[in-house]
Amino acid sequence: MKNWIQVFSIIDFISVGILLTAIAMNALRRLESCVRAYMFNSWLLSFLIAIVAFMIGEAHLYMASIVTFLSKGIVIPLFLRKIVKQMKVTHDVEPYISNALSLTISGILVAVVYVSLREGIFVTGFSRNVLQISTAVILIGLFIMISRRKAITQVIGLLFMENGLFLAGFSLTFGMPIIIELGVLFDMLMGVIILGIFAIQIKRAFTSSDLDKLTILKG
Amino acid sequence: MNPQNYLYIGALFFLSGAVVSLLPLPKVKNYTYILSSLGAVSFAVLSLFLLFAPPLNIFSISISPIFEFIFCGDALSGFFVMVISILTLSVSIFSIGYTKDIGNKGLKGFLYNLFILSMYAVVMSGNIVTFLISWETMSVVSYFLVTFDRSEKSAKAGLIYAVMTHVGTAFIITLFFMLYKNTGHMDFSNIKAAITEVPDDVKSLIFIFSVIGFGTKAGIIPLHTWLPKAHPAAPSNISALMSGVMIKTGIYGFVRISMDIMGHGPEWWGVMIIVIGAVSSILGVLYALMEHDIKRLLAYHSVENIGIILLGIGGAMMFKSHGLYTLSAIALIAGFYHTLNHALFKGLLFLGAGSVMHATHTKNMEDMGGLIKSMPYTGLFFLIGSISICALPPFNGFVSEWLTYQALILGFKSPSITSKIISPLGGAALALTGALAAACFVKAFGISFLGIPRSSHAENVKESSPSMITGMAILALLCLIFGIFPGAVITLLSPAVFNLTGSYGMLSGKGVLHISETVAALSPVAILITMVITSVATIVFIFIVSGKKKVTYGGSWDCGMPALTPRMQYSATAFTKPIRMIFKRIYLPRRELRVSYIVKPFFVKSIKYSGEITPFFEKYIYEPVTVFIHKFAGKVRLLQSGSLHLYLGYILITLILLLIFGN
Repeated sequence: MKNWIQVFSIIDFISVGILLTAIAMNALRRLESCVRAYMFNSWLLSFLIAIVAFMIGEAHLYMASIVTFLSKGIVIPLFLRKIVKQMKVTHDVEPYISNALSLTISGILVAVVYVSLREGIFVTGFSRNVLQISTAVILIGLFIMISRRKAITQVIGLLFMENGLFLAGFSLTFGMPIIIELGVLFDMLMGVIILGIFAIQIKRAFTSSDLDKLTILKG
Repeated sequence: MNPQNYLYIGALFFLSGAVVSLLPLPKVKNYTYILSSLGAVSFAVLSLFLLFAPPLNIFSISISPIFEFIFCGDALSGFFVMVISILTLSVSIFSIGYTKDIGNKGLKGFLYNLFILSMYAVVMSGNIVTFLISWETMSVVSYFLVTFDRSEKSAKAGLIYAVMTHVGTAFIITLFFMLYKNTGHMDFSNIKAAITEVPDDVKSLIFIFSVIGFGTKAGIIPLHTWLPKAHPAAPSNISALMSGVMIKTGIYGFVRISMDIMGHGPEWWGVMIIVIGAVSSILGVLYALMEHDIKRLLAYHSVENIGIILLGIGGAMMFKSHGLYTLSAIALIAGFYHTLNHALFKGLLFLGAGSVMHATHTKNMEDMGGLIKSMPYTGLFFLIGSISICALPPFNGFVSEWLTYQALILGFKSPSITSKIISPLGGAALALTGALAAACFVKAFGISFLGIPRSSHAENVKESSPSMITGMAILALLCLIFGIFPGAVITLLSPAVFNLTGSYGMLSGKGVLHISETVAALSPVAILITMVITSVATIVFIFIVSGKKKVTYGGSWDCGMPALTPRMQYSATAFTKPIRMIFKRIYLPRRELRVSYIVKPFFVKSIKYSGEITPFFEKYIYEPVTVFIHKFAGKVRLLQSGSLHLYLGYILITLILLLIFGN
C-alpha cells in the first residue's frame, strides 16, 4: 500500500519544493515574503519527514516532524515577522546584486552541486536526489547571507542553511535520535532570538540594519 | 677547591646581585655592582681551570632525552669566559658610580646581571637546547637594555636589533637542526665525534648558515646595521659589554661550529671569511670616520674590529685546509688575541665615552672640546684606548695586529694560488684599516678632548667619580700589560688554539715573540724601552738646545681676527673632508644648500647647508626589503576588510571549491 509513494516520486516532489522555496528567496523583494518562503520551506521539510516516517514506519520520526513543524514552521516565522514589523522604516530586502543575476548564480550553484555529487552517497536509498538538493539549499542559504544587506536576511539565510543541513542529515541517516533533534531545534530557536535582538540593536545603534556599517568597528 | 664550585659561587653572586637590585631598599641597591664584580672574579678563576685543565662537565639537568641542559667547558669556552670576566669586572666597578643617579636603577641592575649570566651560559653550553635557550635569553635581555631609556629612538633601534638578531637566530636554529638530523645527537661533543656522517654539501650549507647567523650577532657587513643603532641607544656600561663581549659570542659560536665541531672544510670557507673580514674592517672604519656621535663612531669601530678578528680566523681556516697547521695556529692566535684586545680597549673607550656623556650630557663630538683640562683621567684613559685601537706600540692592539699581518703575509708559503693572492690582499686591507682607524681616533680624541669647549655642554664639566675612573684604569692598565707581555697572553690562548689547529705556532722567550719556522720576532719590551729612551732623549735635547725653563702663556694665534670663538676651531666634519673626497664612490655624499632671500638675489635672509653620506646598505639592501614587506602586508590586509559579507563569501568559495575538487 506504500508503493504509491515510490510510484509518484512523492519524496522527490517535496524535495524539489524545498529547493524551489530556497531559490525563490532570490527573487523576493519584501522581507515579509522572505519569512513566508522560509515558512513554506519548513512546512515542506516537516511534511517530508512525515512521509518518510509513514513509509518506513518509524514512530520517532513523526515526533521529529511535529516538532519541526511547530518550531520552524510556526514559532520562528512568527517571531521573525514581529522583528520585521519592529524595523518599521523599510521592508525592502536591498540586495547587492540584481535579482536576475542572483537567480542565475543560484542556478549555477545547483548545477555545481549536481555535477560534483553525481556519484552521491546513497545510504538510506529513499531518494537519489535529496542529498544533492539539501547541499544546494545549504549553498543557496549561504549565498543569500552574502548577497543581502540586512541583518534579518542574514538570519533567514542561516535558517535556510539549517534546513538544508537537517535535510542532508536526514537523507543520510533517517534522522538523528530525537534528543539530538530537540537539542538542535532548541539551539536554533535561541540563535534566532539572539540574532533577532541583535538585528534590532544594530538598527538602533547605526540607525540602519545594514551590515556594511559594521566595518567601522574594524581595528 | 673543585672548579665547579667557582661557577656556583660566581652564579650565586650574579643572581644575588640581580635580586638585591630589585629590592625596594635604596641603600642595598648600591651593592648590586659590587656583587657582580665579585662574580666576575669567581668566573675568572673558573676560566683558568677551563683553559689549562681537560674539558670539564660542569653540570647537567635532564628533563627528557631531547630536552636536556648541559653546561660544560673546554679551553675555547675558558678563553671566552676569561674575556667576559675581565670586562665584567671593570664595567661593574665603573657602573657603581655611573648608575648612581639614573632612574629605574633596580630594573637595570637586574637586567645587567642577567645579561652577563646569559653570556656565560652561551659560551659554556654543551648541547643545542642549552645553547639556543642561552642565546635567546642573551638577545632578549639585551633588547630590554637597548630600549632601557624608553625614548622613541631607542625603541626603533631596539626593533631593528630584535628583528636582525631573530633573523640570525633563525639561521642558527636551522643549522643546529641540520647537524642534529645528520648526526642524530644533541650535545656538541657527540656531534663532533659523528661529524663525518654529514655530507660535504650539507657541511658547506651549515657553514654558510653559521656565517649569516653568528655574523648577524658579530656585526659583519652587510649584517651590521643594527649595531650602530643599538649600541648608542643602550646605557654606556651596557654598550661596553655589548660591544666588548656580546658580539664576541657571535665569534665564539662561529668558531665552535665551523672550526671545532666541523673540523676543517674546503679552502673557500677560509677565503670567504677573509673577504668578509676585509670588507667589514675597511667599510667599518670608513663609516666610523663619518660619524660625529661618539658612541656610533665606536660602534662602527666594533664592525671594523670584528673584521680584523675574522681576518685572523679566516686565515686560520684557510691554512688549516692546506695542512699548514703552524701557520693556522698563528692566525688563530692573532684572531683570539685581537678578540681579547678588542674587548679591553673597546670596553675602555665605551666607558670613556660614557664618562664624557655623563659629564657633558651630549653624544655629539662637535659639542665637546677641551675636556682634557676638566677631565684629565678620563682623557688619559680615552687616549690609551685610542692608541690601543690604532694598533700603536706599546699597547695591546699592536701585538695582535702585528700577528695578523705576519700570518697573512706568511700566506705565500701556502701551496694554493688563491691563498697566495688572497692573504696578502687581506694584509693590505688591514693596513688601510689601520691607517684610517688612526685618522679616526685622531679626530675622536682631538675634537672631543682638545681645543676649547665648542658648546655650553663642554663648559664647567667635572671629572667622573672615583669608581668610574677605577673601572677605566683597570682596562687601561691591562691594555698596557697585554701589550708589553704578549707571551703571557699567548700562553693563555695556546690550549684553545692547540685544540682547534693541532699546533702551538708560537715560541715565546723572555719578552720576545718568535714565530715558529720563520725569522719573524717581536719584542714589545724592547720597543717600550726604545720609546722611553727616545722620548727622554728628545726632552733632554730640547732642554739643552733651548735652555729656557721659563714658561710664558699667550693667546692663540688668531690670524689677525680679534676674539677667537669656538666656532673657528677645526670641526670633525672638516677634519674628515679629505677622506670623504677620496672615498667619494663609497660614501656617495649628498649636499644640500638652501638659501632663502628677502630680495632675490642680493639680500639673503638665511643659508642652510646640510651634508650627509648615503647609508648604502640601509638604502639599497634593507630599504627595498622592508618596502616590499610593507607592500605585501598591505595587500594581504585587503583580505581582512571588515565586511561580513566578504568573509561569508570566502566560506562559500571554499565550500564550492571543496565540492568541485574534493572528489
